[in-house]
Amino acid sequence: MSGIDETRLRRAFLEEAEELSQKLGESLMELEADRANAQLVNEVFRLTHSLKSESALMGFATLSELAHRMEDVLGLARGGSLTLGKPVMDSLFAGADLLAEMMAAIGKGGSDEDFTTAEVLQGLSAASGNGHARPQDAAPAQGPPARQSAGPSGIPPAPGAPAPLMLGDFEKLQLAEARDRGEALLRLTVDVDEGEPMKFPRAYLVFSNLEAVSNVVKVVPPMEGETADDSLYGRTTVLLTSGSEEEVMKAASGVDQIAGVKIERCRFDAFLSGAAASSAPAAAPETATTTAGQDEQARRNESAPDARRAGPVEKTSIRVDTRKLDDLWSLIAELVLHKSHIARLSEDISRGKDVHSVREELVESFDSLDKISSGMQQAMMDTRMISISVIFSKFPRLVRDLSRKLGKPVDLVLSGEDTEIDRSIVEALSDPLTHIIRNSLDHGIEFPEERVRRGKNDKGRVSVSARRQGGNIVIELEDDGRGMDPESIRRKAVGMGMSGAESFTEAQLLDLVFLPGFSTKEVVTDLSGRGVGMDVVATRIRGDLKGDVVLRTEQNRGTRVTLFLPLTLTIVNALLVRGDTQLYALPLTDVDSTAKLVSTEIRGEEGRESALWMEEETPVFSLGALFGGGRRRADEYFAAVLRNGDRKAYLVVDELIEEREVVIKPVDDLLNSQKMFSGVSVLENGKLVFILDTSFIRREHF
Amino acid sequence: MGATILIADDLSFMRMIQKEILTERGYTIAGEAADGREAVEKFKNLRPDLVLLDITMPNMNGLEAMRKIFKIDPHARVIMCSALGQQNLIVEAIKAGVKDFIVKPFKPERILSAIDKALKS
Repeated sequence: MSGIDETRLRRAFLEEAEELSQKLGESLMELEADRANAQLVNEVFRLTHSLKSESALMGFATLSELAHRMEDVLGLARGGSLTLGKPVMDSLFAGADLLAEMMAAIGKGGSDEDFTTAEVLQGLSAASGNGHARPQDAAPAQGPPARQSAGPSGIPPAPGAPAPLMLGDFEKLQLAEARDRGEALLRLTVDVDEGEPMKFPRAYLVFSNLEAVSNVVKVVPPMEGETADDSLYGRTTVLLTSGSEEEVMKAASGVDQIAGVKIERCRFDAFLSGAAASSAPAAAPETATTTAGQDEQARRNESAPDARRAGPVEKTSIRVDTRKLDDLWSLIAELVLHKSHIARLSEDISRGKDVHSVREELVESFDSLDKISSGMQQAMMDTRMISISVIFSKFPRLVRDLSRKLGKPVDLVLSGEDTEIDRSIVEALSDPLTHIIRNSLDHGIEFPEERVRRGKNDKGRVSVSARRQGGNIVIELEDDGRGMDPESIRRKAVGMGMSGAESFTEAQLLDLVFLPGFSTKEVVTDLSGRGVGMDVVATRIRGDLKGDVVLRTEQNRGTRVTLFLPLTLTIVNALLVRGDTQLYALPLTDVDSTAKLVSTEIRGEEGRESALWMEEETPVFSLGALFGGGRRRADEYFAAVLRNGDRKAYLVVDELIEEREVVIKPVDDLLNSQKMFSGVSVLENGKLVFILDTSFIRREHF
Repeated sequence: MGATILIADDLSFMRMIQKEILTERGYTIAGEAADGREAVEKFKNLRPDLVLLDITMPNMNGLEAMRKIFKIDPHARVIMCSALGQQNLIVEAIKAGVKDFIVKPFKPERILSAIDKALKS
């Protein structure tokens, strides 16, 4: 393919393939709910077929091979010679996941050859009977040479070696969080006694004990009952993270009829660093097989520094609804009209026509231009907006998998999927939302038995909604689980020596869950398991996205997490103020109102002053004091009332200038060591404006 | 006095064997039940340290009895007895919180080691 712009080609492939892959996931979900639907079978067949052909064209043999196998299975189903039972659907889901992972790796500059497909291919062929989908990896020598990849992907795990652990994004996220919590990553190999007549329940018992004391990330073979083949469970490999190795050992070995448990400490990097995370060899103890595979791969890379290993491909093109472009186009047409109108007027004037006679026409034209330019700004902004369904569409699958893994039936209710949000926000939002939902299922929703005991429907309910509210997008995630007890948080806070915790309001107590260090495993157990890594969520939402997150809970009724996010991160309506000679912008979403403060209203010593706002004691900050100097003594002050979540504060300024739009540009870390600014903006007259990040009122509050 | 155990099985022969194995080890038989309903009734009244619960029983099967027992005491120690091929029922029971399970036909050592371990937890 030399001669063709390889990078451009790759980018085009990825764009298309990622969309196909996403559709594949969605269609599979639909198909699972409606398995007799021939049209859906056809659709899924078509998608795998397209993926196969495109990846083959690009030379991604492993990727293409997998898609091909999936296509074969679907072909059988389409022809009516295979029923889409649970094992078939599961193997298709596993295949779709792996396809997506491969493409993500390729996008980051990796290769599909870094992935082990043996397990998934075996699953596909096992589920579909020994029809056309015979796995070549069982007998690599029989595969057609073109498709037989010599790398690790074609080599089945050596007997006795731990099963390969392929991790999806979700599992990797779990690992990253566990690492941040300082937990250990352990791989357990559990052997059930030869004499045990029922191996699957025995292995399940170990798994269930482990889940109680650690965070189980991955189990091979998977612990999904119903169709389990008992003979597969003689050896189970479990990847988990835990704060106490001892407890894990106790939980695993306290089970009868277990011949042995081997615990190995693993490095998080081995699973987290890009493609290596998905291939077993990186994390497995070195065996002859894996070493051989790596050598071979290394040699191939040396001999062929091919384009498939080129650097990361950044997405430089976006998909935009053509109607949005049409809107923009019609505005441009108007702009051209008005431009020629003004050109004519200007010509008239230069030919000696009296300026006053055309004054009215000029003003009118200017008004139109004003409307057009703000219309264009809006239209341009709209092209940055995409529907939040991009994220929401992943949740049915997430909830389905979790609910089965945990043995907790859960109904997921989505609403407001059409709500539009800035692209840059969408990408950063996926992880925190996933995290909150996982917390709901892990810790919020009770097991069916317990729910019935508490007088609830045995099926849990998680609802996720999005809506636009003023300049914000509001996302609510609600469950009907066991909720949290604010008093136990208070006890914990007091126990940790947090001053003032005795008199915290319920809202303040619940906000503690977002503090780093507060949501440790130990605390979480105290709180009946809630809040793991909520500090990570808070950092992302409040810090990176300039939004806010609020938690509400009622014991035995459930928990609701509400996220407030700005519509966009690039242009913001702000109140321009002056402190000394410097201009600052306060985002209007953070400004409740403006006020005049009489000096006698301000109480308390300097640095910890407060005044009443709506009859509530509210802290008073002043721009001067925040940035060097002090507050100028006066009888009267101008102030903006800032809000951040449920917190309010007065900010005393030297002058309230005006309300206007500012374009946010990133601010240098050097200028922002205190994290006081969310960005800078340059006005038309060249003046620099700092955009104040109002979350400081939250930090200063404690 | 050893820990008290309630035996629930519809076959009197099976109960007899279990009783013998357990008393020999020094356990006290709190009572016997011939079906699920009786097992729940006796659990409520006798509050044994552990219940040996057969899955297949008339009137109320072992799983249902197990659920009722957990409703009375969420921390009850229950060991399920099952026949081969009842994997899924056992997994269901594990999810609900049983400590262990025994597959029939069982050897005396097996039932004893399961009970010893369950009582330690």
